[in-house]
Amino acid sequence: MDELDLRVRRHVYRSFVELGRAPRADEVADELELGLDEVEASFRRLHDAHALVLERGTTRIRMANPFSTVPTPHRVQAAGRWWYANCAWDAFGICAALGVEGHISSSCPDCGEAIELDVVGQRPVPDDYAVHILVPAEHWWDDIVFT
Amino acid sequence: MNLFRSDEHAARWLEQYGYEPGATISAAKLSELAHAWWDTRLDPDWLPRSLDDSQAILDRLGLSDRFWQLAPSR
Repeated sequence: MDELDLRVRRHVYRSFVELGRAPRADEVADELELGLDEVEASFRRLHDAHALVLERGTTRIRMANPFSTVPTPHRVQAAGRWWYANCAWDAFGICAALGVEGHISSSCPDCGEAIELDVVGQRPVPDDYAVHILVPAEHWWDDIVFT
Repeated sequence: MNLFRSDEHAARWLEQYGYEPGATISAAKLSELAHAWWDTRLDPDWLPRSLDDSQAILDRLGLSDRFWQLAPSR
């Protein structure tokens, strides 16, 4: 990952936290005074390096992990804003990345009952919920949206 | 990766949908993992982490069986 890609990635994450959404490639190009082609090529390299995830066949950002740009069943209230996480792991990851405590709202896929927990001192409260991971680690990136 | 009310709810869901079971861990363990994994993600000087360093995080948290191995099986 070269300096340009690191700069673009840094800008994407900083913008995401400031705006509460992913910036478009043309916005990044304008703000970093780069060509749109350069930024789109950088987005693709960052996708290939698993540093962000693009919508298939586009240069629209789907995930700036742990943040999701699309609504999901995993919502996180942290740092004065509601965020969507890609999965349960990323829900805790948003609190971790922001370095704050927070609240996670989800639901049990088995019974549909709401799951509400706080993240306090890096721990869930209450702490008696379970998490299931279907995909073995070596296959996480085979289809990261399913994972 | 989903949150469930309990291990029993996860097991019932797996059976209902015919999924091959993966790994069930506590939300507390997941939070510990998430904080170790993501805590530097917004750092201005962030650099990609190597596969070995990522594996070391999993190993340190006791997530070291075959399911949690990031490198392809040989």
